[in-house]
Amino acid sequence: MESQTLILVFLALCGTGVLLSLVWPESRQGALLAWVGCLGAITLVWAGTNALLADQTFNQLLWPLPELGTLTLKLDRLSAVFAVITGLVLFPASIFAGGELRVTPERREGRAFTAMLLGLYASIGLIFVAGDVLLFLLAWEVMSVLSYLLVLCDRNRENGRAGAGYLLLAMGEAGTLAAALGFILLAVGAGSLDFGVIRSAASPLGPSARWAVFLLSFFGFGVKAGLVPVNFWLPRAYAVAPRAFVPVLAGATLNLGLYGILRVNADLMSSTQVGPGLVALIVGTLSALVGILYATTANDLKTMLAHSSIENAGIVVAGFGAGMVFVATAHPVPAAIAFVAGLYHLINHSLYKTLLFFGAGVVEGQTGTRDMDRLGGLIKWMPWTALGFLAGTLSIAALPPFNGFVSEWLTLQTMLRSAELASTPAKMVFALCGAGLALTAALAVTCFVKVFAMSFLGMRRLDGNQRVTEAGSGALIPMAILAVLCLAFGVLPTYVIPALDSAAGSLAGASAADALVPPFFAPNPAHDTLPPAFVGEFHDLGAQVGQSVLPGRGLVVLHRGGPENPVVFAMSTSYMLVALISLLIVTYVVIRLWLTRSRRLARRERWDGGVRRLLPEMTYTATGFSNPVRVIFDAVFRPTTVEDTRETVAEHFRTAIRREKERVHLVDKLVFLPVRTAAFWFAGGLAAMHHGRINVYAAYVLLALLAALVIALL
Amino acid sequence: MSQWVLKGIRTGIKTTAYPRDAERAAGVTPGLPVGGEFSAEAAAALVDRCPVQALSRTDGSVSVDYRRCVHCHRCVRGVEPPLDWETTYEWAATRRPQNEFGPAFSRSIHIVVVDAGDCGACLNEVKQLNNPYYNMHRLGFFITPTPRHADVLLVVGPVTDHMRVALQKTYDAMPTPKRVVAVGACALSGGVFAESFVCEKGLADVLPVDVEVPGHPPPPLAILHGLLVAVGRKPPASLVSTPSAVKTNPAEP
Amino acid sequence: MNLAGLTEQIEQRWRGMTRCRLVAATFACEITCGRAALAELCGWLFSEQGYSFAGLIVEEGAAEWQLRYVFYGEREAGRVHVLVNSPSAERAFPSIVKFVHAADWHEREAEDLFGLVFEGHPRLGDFVLHNDAWQENVEPMRHRFDARAAMLHRKPAADWRPRRVVQEAGAFVMPIGPKYSGATESVHFLLETVGEDVIRAVPRLFYKWRAIEKLAEGKTVGDVLLLAERFAATTAFAHGLGFCQAVESITNAAVPARALLLRVFLAELERLRQHAGAIQEICESTALVVANSQAGILEEDLLRISGELAGHRYLFGLLAPGGLLCDLTNDACRRALAQSQKVLAELNELEKRLRVSSSFLDRLEEVGVIAFKDAKAFGLVGPVARASGLVRDLRRAQPYSGYERFDFDVPGEQEGDGYARLRVLFAEARQSARVMEQAIAALKDGGVHEPVTLCPGAALGWVEAPRGAAFHWVRLDESGRVARYRVVPPSFPNWHGFRLAVENFAFQDFPIILSTFDLSVAENDR
Repeated sequence: MESQTLILVFLALCGTGVLLSLVWPESRQGALLAWVGCLGAITLVWAGTNALLADQTFNQLLWPLPELGTLTLKLDRLSAVFAVITGLVLFPASIFAGGELRVTPERREGRAFTAMLLGLYASIGLIFVAGDVLLFLLAWEVMSVLSYLLVLCDRNRENGRAGAGYLLLAMGEAGTLAAALGFILLAVGAGSLDFGVIRSAASPLGPSARWAVFLLSFFGFGVKAGLVPVNFWLPRAYAVAPRAFVPVLAGATLNLGLYGILRVNADLMSSTQVGPGLVALIVGTLSALVGILYATTANDLKTMLAHSSIENAGIVVAGFGAGMVFVATAHPVPAAIAFVAGLYHLINHSLYKTLLFFGAGVVEGQTGTRDMDRLGGLIKWMPWTALGFLAGTLSIAALPPFNGFVSEWLTLQTMLRSAELASTPAKMVFALCGAGLALTAALAVTCFVKVFAMSFLGMRRLDGNQRVTEAGSGALIPMAILAVLCLAFGVLPTYVIPALDSAAGSLAGASAADALVPPFFAPNPAHDTLPPAFVGEFHDLGAQVGQSVLPGRGLVVLHRGGPENPVVFAMSTSYMLVALISLLIVTYVVIRLWLTRSRRLARRERWDGGVRRLLPEMTYTATGFSNPVRVIFDAVFRPTTVEDTRETVAEHFRTAIRREKERVHLVDKLVFLPVRTAAFWFAGGLAAMHHGRINVYAAYVLLALLAALVIALL
Repeated sequence: MSQWVLKGIRTGIKTTAYPRDAERAAGVTPGLPVGGEFSAEAAAALVDRCPVQALSRTDGSVSVDYRRCVHCHRCVRGVEPPLDWETTYEWAATRRPQNEFGPAFSRSIHIVVVDAGDCGACLNEVKQLNNPYYNMHRLGFFITPTPRHADVLLVVGPVTDHMRVALQKTYDAMPTPKRVVAVGACALSGGVFAESFVCEKGLADVLPVDVEVPGHPPPPLAILHGLLVAVGRKPPASLVSTPSAVKTNPAEP
Repeated sequence: MNLAGLTEQIEQRWRGMTRCRLVAATFACEITCGRAALAELCGWLFSEQGYSFAGLIVEEGAAEWQLRYVFYGEREAGRVHVLVNSPSAERAFPSIVKFVHAADWHEREAEDLFGLVFEGHPRLGDFVLHNDAWQENVEPMRHRFDARAAMLHRKPAADWRPRRVVQEAGAFVMPIGPKYSGATESVHFLLETVGEDVIRAVPRLFYKWRAIEKLAEGKTVGDVLLLAERFAATTAFAHGLGFCQAVESITNAAVPARALLLRVFLAELERLRQHAGAIQEICESTALVVANSQAGILEEDLLRISGELAGHRYLFGLLAPGGLLCDLTNDACRRALAQSQKVLAELNELEKRLRVSSSFLDRLEEVGVIAFKDAKAFGLVGPVARASGLVRDLRRAQPYSGYERFDFDVPGEQEGDGYARLRVLFAEARQSARVMEQAIAALKDGGVHEPVTLCPGAALGWVEAPRGAAFHWVRLDESGRVARYRVVPPSFPNWHGFRLAVENFAFQDFPIILSTFDLSVAENDR
């Protein structure tokens, strides 16, 4: 089927689903959500794949509106990538959400949830295929409002939910306003609301107009993407959102912000100045650092994952920023590589973050708590959940052969291309940001070792009477799907990169596929891109293994530094997986089946220093594990001591030592709290006008009339 | 830092020649009493004099059980005639046939030390094994903090009741092949604490012991000999000294 | 003030509730006190009169309990024994912990071992007899204790948990031991922490409890001397000396002059050796490898000197009540002195090098600080107390074995950190060598032993062991056997105060602070 038809089918499915959910009984809502959501996701993926691989993009005019132009549907390669990834995430998310609805039948909000979620799917799809500003903004608003309503949609009233919801809505609207202003500036310059017209009219825009559009759209869409300093709503909202919705929030709606940034600043208005790109790079790196620091020291599973989302969004934006810089300095191939890296990381993040939120939701559902200080030892009762969560953890910690490794590798390689830039300040910014991203990667490993170990390994810290059981298939199947996808995207980068390259190429103006995935599996003439000496070396290393069996270009991802920096970096997660499996098998065979075949395996208690009984309170808590990070980065966290009291009896027998430290989030302290104080001050000033006395209001009316008369006369 | 380097070089080599040659410096060993022939009354007086019943006699032949000797010196001081005294240090004896430790272990073993109520002297002598005079690292012996990496369990002290669980856990946590070396009179027979209701009468009642090193405390050279016996690099000695026993200690000064 | 003035004041303040008995010649005073006045009187002696608390000695008579609180001061202030008697059925006593915090662990030990109840003490139980190893009401030190029955009916508490005091999010209890590190004594620590710093440290001792006080009952003096030497054998001579002095006090024995001088010589040799060992431990804990090796060489040298002189590296088998078991030749003593002075010269050089090793000093300076008022309140003794400004040395305060005739200093420091303790160790080593020289110079020929006729009675023997003040209380019965043997070793109060030094420092500082205290678990556990 053609992608255009598929998109329409998708929208129709969502609409039908909404209508059905309004009439069907409560008990069937879960099944409805799962089935319709899955079908919709499949159509979305199909449409996107068609557009990317079979080049079935389309541009469909819909209804003309007087004075506002025609509403247009347009699926180009960039939208196709986002459509594919959204579909891949929405498929398991629908199963998971459907399962959640079925499991808790006493909630009578299933109907509202299903309807709103399917509506959200439709609005997300519309955002991707919107071909003009008006349709885009309409779909965006619908998406915003529906997200807000879905965050509030849970019978279990959690503390702070209302506040977090308002903050989400308020920041969302502020962001939308800023983005809309940016669009309007572009539209005014082009004289039309259509994306195609805007794109061709964007070149003569002056530098100050470009800066204005960049700043408005970057920080406007940055709200949704979770960039510092406009992301203080994100941890709060993610923490209180219902279990069934948070995966969609993290896996699908976060990408919308990134889509907006990319669409405006790389597609509609390609960069001619280095400045905006550097700003994007710096903001991305800062977001990554701040995000991972707060993730490492957070003890609540969902809050931690929310901060980690901020980190990953920062890495993606850093990649985009680098791409923008390369486009501005006329280095199209590095730009394409940078955009490929950014898009790849975006995909990977959606996959593994959704997987991790599934895991967190299962843990919360089964144990009733999200506090890692109180979890522990769950692998004994939830082995499959633990396995899925482990796959997500390995991916997010960027360990081969999972997908996180590939995108981190590509992003850091992009940073190394800064050697080709002419201006030294730009090179310094790249160097510093590269170092910052490397630090982020290291902290991410710490963070996720802590998460997995404290939740699933070690001794059980929960109350002894509570029964903990494995999750149902409604949760395990989506986790399995995503885990397999994480592995697939990790092991087959040489198939993903050419697909992404078609989108990135349209943004950068050159193809990165040959630079990143040289065709080792093709006959000789296709080796033009590489000098024969290199090719010979790689042949010796076995780069053609699999040539007769597998289609495609090869299994090695290559990166050559560039004319100023002629080094070659090569990696192949596909061969790494094969080597890993072989090593494991060989090790087992040699050691267990040959060298120690006559030895009995003895199982003994863990060594605990000889204590009579090791108790759960004698094991490291999550707080303890991450305390060194807290101490080292004290300058960032700046804790203030709230309480530090010692109670004693007879002066020397301590009965209680109470210590409490308060740590206000850095972004809160610098941005949110001052804004809030200013808003309160302003509102207080306005409130002074509201006396409640009719005479005063009458006076106001009179004054306003007089002022209007005066202005009309002038 | 250079001052330390220069000092180290100036100090020279202090390490003992043992086990290649005998160590003849003064004060390296307290020595042990030797069984001998006496008149019946003298023998009876000697046997009464020993507060831990380490001496036994048949008529005039006095034998010494090294498992019990606590170095109170009352059999050589304040009594006439006194027992003879030898100043050797190769005292370790085996309790079970050594089948398991192969040549792979003879130059590299890891030892985990458990203090099961020791007075401090035996443990201090064990610690002296790491000072430049004895330097057991050159023989391939290392002390490890965890039993998971250990081949030899070295126990000092009478096994107190409160330490039983920890001692048993340490032994269980060691992988096979493993050896147990009991060091000091308290570990061999309970020493002066044998009658206490919270002490055992020897480690052999608690764990299977392979090598026993008598002394109170055994000097570092004796402990070294015990470890060498455990890995089969030195022949064991006997824990009982009777007048007719042929001396099996080759390193006699 | 002197004891006569003291007794006058006491009789005035607590009229009718106390009865004093003064033995002016030996600077001792016994005050039998009623329960109502006990806590206040002890507090007054401790805080206002500047006495140190030596220990609590509990004796179970045929029909009554006798509790003896021993205080000691400088020279004429003498030793004050505060006695409280009570019929056997009444086992409740007032706790003096509010006024004399140093009595905390003494009362806990008495509660565990005798079943006495100290009203007002907030932390009784789970001290010597661990609650997760023993049932209630074991009371092993009582005469009626049946060991076999107690071991047969063992019922440890199945739900024992460590007491948690820290209330902070994410706090946990980190266990260390009883088997930890390389070759260390067995002791269990429970460190409450949130991950980097130790907020509260609780040492759980008595894993090495051998019950020597119970074992000694009914044994001959010779057998108990063996126990005294061997329960903490790294300072065997000092403890043996304390025991012998107690027996000599009971029997009024006159120890020959040569024996007194040789006792001093050997005691100082042991002090020198133990301090070298402590310095080696400090260098090892800070991982200063060359200094560790150098100090190790010096400790082994001193062990060999001791072994050559006395026939045993730890000086076993030399002491006997009434003098020494055997004589040492003047030549052997001079040789030992000359060798010791060589070792001391090396030790001084080592100190000079350590004082300029900044990475070493960084680990010790301002780490593990004990303030003077804490040292006083907890009754710390030895080099640890002297490094915090609490300079009291039994060789000066209550001279024994002829120490009043020797010319030596008692070094002290003010900072109370690890570096101060190290400096005190080096300074005391120098003073020990000085005393050894004077002892050899004063040696004259003569006998070293006067036979002792045992008689019933009780007395206190005290000695300034290398780790601090040690007290031995011995009661002999009619047959000349030991009826009660009580040891208060110097490690006991120092373990009590140890937690003050480690709290609010990082984990990495813990082993270093432990090494600067030169504590012995065997000595504490007995």
